[in-house]
Amino acid sequence: MSFRQPSVLPGFGLTFGFTTFFLSAIVLLPLAALVLAAASMHWSDFVHVVASPRALGSFRLSFGASFLAAAINLVFGFIIAWTLVRYEFPGRKLIDALIDMPFALPTAVSGIALTTVFAHNGWIGRYLEPWGVKVAYTWLGVTLALTLISMPFAVRAVQPALLEVQRDLEEAAETLGAHRLYVFRHIILPTVLPALLTGFTLAFARALGEYGSVIFIAGNLPMKTEITPLLIVIHLEEFDYQGAAALGVVMLVISFIVLLAINLLQAWGRRRHVRGAH
Amino acid sequence: MSITLDQVTKRYAGAPVVNDVSLDIGDGEFFVLLGPSGSGKSTLLRAIAGLSGVDHGRIALHGRDVTHVAARKRGVGLVFQNYALFGHMTVAENIEFALRVRHMRAKARRQRRQELLRLVALEGLDQRLPAQLSGGQQQRVAVARALAHKPEVLLLDEPFGALDAKIREELRRTIRQVQRELGITTVLVTHDQEEAFAMADRIGIMNLGRLLELGAPHDLYSRPATRFVATFLGAANLILARRTPDGIQMGANTVAAAESSPGVHEHEVVAVVRPEEVEVAASRDGLSSGYFARGVVHEVVFTGALESLRVRLENGAQAPLLAQADGDASASLLVTRTQHEQRGFEVHPGQSVAIGVRRVHVLPTPLSSFTACAASAALADTLSRQPLLAELAVRMKTRIALRAEPQLGVAGAACAVDGPFVGTTVIASQAECAQRAEWLLRRGAKDLLLLPEHAAVPQRVLIHWMDEAARSATLAVSASVLRHLSAEAVYVGIFPEQSASAHPQHGMRELLDARSEAQLAHGLEMRTELRFGDVAQQLARRLAEAPAQMLIVGLTELSRFAQALRGLLDGGQWPVLIVYRGSP
Repeated sequence: MSFRQPSVLPGFGLTFGFTTFFLSAIVLLPLAALVLAAASMHWSDFVHVVASPRALGSFRLSFGASFLAAAINLVFGFIIAWTLVRYEFPGRKLIDALIDMPFALPTAVSGIALTTVFAHNGWIGRYLEPWGVKVAYTWLGVTLALTLISMPFAVRAVQPALLEVQRDLEEAAETLGAHRLYVFRHIILPTVLPALLTGFTLAFARALGEYGSVIFIAGNLPMKTEITPLLIVIHLEEFDYQGAAALGVVMLVISFIVLLAINLLQAWGRRRHVRGAH
Repeated sequence: MSITLDQVTKRYAGAPVVNDVSLDIGDGEFFVLLGPSGSGKSTLLRAIAGLSGVDHGRIALHGRDVTHVAARKRGVGLVFQNYALFGHMTVAENIEFALRVRHMRAKARRQRRQELLRLVALEGLDQRLPAQLSGGQQQRVAVARALAHKPEVLLLDEPFGALDAKIREELRRTIRQVQRELGITTVLVTHDQEEAFAMADRIGIMNLGRLLELGAPHDLYSRPATRFVATFLGAANLILARRTPDGIQMGANTVAAAESSPGVHEHEVVAVVRPEEVEVAASRDGLSSGYFARGVVHEVVFTGALESLRVRLENGAQAPLLAQADGDASASLLVTRTQHEQRGFEVHPGQSVAIGVRRVHVLPTPLSSFTACAASAALADTLSRQPLLAELAVRMKTRIALRAEPQLGVAGAACAVDGPFVGTTVIASQAECAQRAEWLLRRGAKDLLLLPEHAAVPQRVLIHWMDEAARSATLAVSASVLRHLSAEAVYVGIFPEQSASAHPQHGMRELLDARSEAQLAHGLEMRTELRFGDVAQQLARRLAEAPAQMLIVGLTELSRFAQALRGLLDGGQWPVLIVYRGSP
């Protein structure tokens, strides 16, 4: 569509102008500044910062824990959404509202709360301690914090899709001789798969950027429980803006690649459906 | 029998949605379940498919009891109103779904799929997605899919509901053809009587969870047994008439009835006159059929093949016209005329015409109309507005007449109104109303309803007769009442305390006899309960057990009424319908 074409709705010029302006001012411009700041570095300096064992360790933890958290939420978020959509029980509304709590809570509060519960003398931590399981100040704690704060994204993405799965379809499959599991695998899952992937993506993206809740429970041991956002802050505190920018650019690129990959996967899935697979 | 339902009951939140339905559907039969929305027909279909359980009763498919068998093991094919096709699968995958579940080999699957697509005339569309098909095509795919695993029974839940008229017609023909070709037992649920007529070998009509009537389309149309069926199947004029030894008397004139009735005592009946059985002419002499009354045409609607008239009866016709099929209670007679008739005699709004009736069908229902009876006209009027009575009258599409009897209940006093008690007489139930009831029964009232002021529509109707001679009449009245309620029927058999050990078998036999008579002669399904002790006491106890209950009690001897029922009636707490078939 060309820009001159008149639209049914008036005001296209104005709204499009605002859209580009805001996107530029808030998203593109800062990102460009980041890239520029990193670009002013010498290549060997860049590699030195980015490939240092400490940085690599933080990347591994940040992406690994975020991926794990999103994966956990993929499964449990689906189960929660299923329970909320499919069953009628007392307190359903309350639980539904509770899902959004991690949205509303300042992330630092979540972090402190989790630490209190999972520290070696905390409510749960004290029972895990004898088993040799340490949550607080390990990668486990990081994953837990990331799971908590990204959970609403997974649930809220799947919920509407589940609502749209018609009971008729399941009943039809049942009369045709399908087991529950078969119905789930071949009828329900394909229908909600795009929503599940969206939920995963959102949760992953949210977890990757998380800072506030993690620093309390992570313990922040270099190489072990130090996440990339924290490393960036440390660089900043040492007035090493270029180093911070370099780390930021790497995160930016990897995140972009991951999100792109998921989007492509979704598009591929849609195409497969349209063509009709055998 | 292909499908056997035995006293199937399904309740939601305590209220029966499917109420004691028993039904046999033969091999290869095309059976249509017809009823308005909320009549329980879809629920019944889902119960047959196994998608919803039943609370009571038995379902058998080809002699195999499947009441507690999961849907996927019942071997039925189900077609939904909204097609319920799997949107992410192609037509081929949809049709092969049941075969894939059964691990059939790809080659055999493909062969079966081709066969089915040919059957529903959709060859070559294998690789389309449902979204790329029209509504009619989608429903064809749904039918093919439901037939893939060679089910023994095909169930169709309003399959044409979402389609426009022309495609509907086409699909109807296809489905009928497929059904004949495969000889598969089929049950179709619909609210469209035209559809039912066009497709069914046999129709079962449901209302308020009950299977009211069952029969071939033509029989049901020409000889309905209930006013619901009479008005639901096509249009009908319901007229309060009198059955006399000479025939059916409507107002002042006797119209020869199709069914002659020699040797009956005169009583009020509900006559069904189909609009196409009404004839109009300029004068009485111009009629070729029995003269009924004069009337004024006030509406003429041209509908293509037929012309539809509304004719208001002139005062003096004295034949109360009950509500018509469309719920319009205005006292106008519905008439349809063919082109041929129109050419013979043209009518315009405002024209006065003579009305003749070619064919009258009399409903076998014992309950024709209600008469609210009280000490004054004002009290009778108040009584006629009692919610349960008003609701019953609306549901039964009948009227409530008023009758003032100032001397009501005064021993020895005569009736103030000259003329017999017609239909069901209604009095207010209050303290010491047993005396009034007896007073009325002694003066010719046959069916007497005692109505407490706050009685609501009952959820359970208890049935009892005090002597065996009253059994038939009580069952007939009960069946008639229950057709208009979604209540469950319970026969309460009561035997004297000492007979408990002496004649238990005798009691059981009576009970079984009663149940089978109720079922066979009146189409009434009822549960039975056995109690021992004093009749009035046991009934009172049973009535007190749950709220919203009503009692129907039959008797032929008034002496028993006074001694046994006085205590129960004087309480005045429950609606009680007395069926009295003795001499006044």
